[in-house]
Amino acid sequence: MKKSYLCIPFLPFLFVAAAQAHGPVRQKVEEQITINAPAQKVWGIIKDYGDMSWLPAIKNTTVNGGNTEGATRVLTLQDGGTITEELKKYDEGKMSYAYKITEMSTAKTITHAGAEEKVPVLPVDNYAASIDLEAKGETTVVTWKAGFYRAYVNNNPPPEMNEEVANTAVKGIFKAGLENLKSLAEK
Amino acid sequence: MLKPKYLTVAFALLTAVLVTPLAAAPFAYISNQLDDSVSVIDTLSGKVVDTIAVKGKPAGVAASPDGHKVYISTPEANGFAVIDTIQHKVIATVNVSEGSLGIAVSPDSKHIYVADWYNNTVSVIDADSLKITGAIPVGQSPSGLMVSPNNHWLYVANRIDNSVSKVDTQKRVVVKTMQVGEHPFGLTLDTRGDRLYVANVKSDDVTVIETATMKAIATVKVNMLPYATALALNDSRLFVTNQDDGSVSVIDTETLKEIALIPVGEKPEGISTHPDDRYVYVANWFDSNVSVIDSKNLKVVNTIKTGEGSRGFGQFFSKK
Repeated sequence: MKKSYLCIPFLPFLFVAAAQAHGPVRQKVEEQITINAPAQKVWGIIKDYGDMSWLPAIKNTTVNGGNTEGATRVLTLQDGGTITEELKKYDEGKMSYAYKITEMSTAKTITHAGAEEKVPVLPVDNYAASIDLEAKGETTVVTWKAGFYRAYVNNNPPPEMNEEVANTAVKGIFKAGLENLKSLAEK
Repeated sequence: MLKPKYLTVAFALLTAVLVTPLAAAPFAYISNQLDDSVSVIDTLSGKVVDTIAVKGKPAGVAASPDGHKVYISTPEANGFAVIDTIQHKVIATVNVSEGSLGIAVSPDSKHIYVADWYNNTVSVIDADSLKITGAIPVGQSPSGLMVSPNNHWLYVANRIDNSVSKVDTQKRVVVKTMQVGEHPFGLTLDTRGDRLYVANVKSDDVTVIETATMKAIATVKVNMLPYATALALNDSRLFVTNQDDGSVSVIDTETLKEIALIPVGEKPEGISTHPDDRYVYVANWFDSNVSVIDSKNLKVVNTIKTGEGSRGFGQFFSKK
């Protein structure tokens, strides 16, 4: 536990209350890639909700439940941070699934507007995403989409928790993930 | 040969067909939050006929019942913009407060109500002077607003408090607050103002309230993250946008059971019923388009391309 929390014991409760609001403008990221491999092959790499080894930022994944709605997975990042996600939709036939972030560890704590703020490992809030495959002959189009709010829930966000930093982070992960998926599938 | 009576009918029909394009069709005003614009859909042609630049991440929409104005809340411009329905232009912007989101107009078109997401108040603005005449303290993170047809009551969804408040519009005070589902957002009143439907984003259901007693009649389960609702066909059917399911739930308002689930675009948010009481328009935030649902046969009959991040939160049809 951080030293400052010991000095201000009520602060954690403030976070709990504030965590329920969110910024006013939901953000959107959509990345697409065409892979020169059949859809079944690509789907074979990503279909296991509990296996995110195709995403370079992830060190390991543990899952509670299989490829069924309600299953939760914990992604451990290369730097040790964790992201917990719940599977919301899974469609084997359409080769798609959707999930939401339910919990994240804190990357760092900053002070903004006189209060301590925990910056989550992915600087977003209320994050929902989906990944879809579409077979186009012998190639596959993969689309990864996400909707989310900035991490800062009140007005006038600090630079570490604004919309720009949130968009950049999500875009970066999606791009790197899809590039890596492409190279894995085209092997 | 047709009988004279039929001829008259035929003539009347023909005239109606000829005259309709000249008279303005109802327009739908869809806020595109990520584009800083509002798409104007001509519902006769089913096409966007105008795109109006509106700064400040436009979100909420409230068309004045008299048909002259459309008010668009702009959370990042701390207030709202006033669109003239003849010119299709922003003719004024009004500074209210920092978290302006939910917006509604009184049935007499004289007052504009703006909910502030951060300040926990609903501001009252005089529609003629565009001056703020008061601020009513409500619950935490007020979102959807709805004014009763008789103009006596304003209903407010307090998102973080999981409650709905009933405000006396004359005295401008909350007279009753009741608990609903988790994170109430969009509100819809029936034509007589007897029933209020509340979409609860977090508990995936709709609370049905009897407004006279402010008691819940029923809680109807819908799908993932319901955002807002709209009534059609003489209030007999309620349509609910399920954001995370990309669908619209249809509830029979007599049995209060879900009777259909209609797939629309991704992240459906704002929803309003055309003044013809039959076609229901849904703004799909992720897909940046609008689905048009025929409430009779429960099918999507048209999809209209709008702008990035179509939100359309509120009553977005104008008669002019």
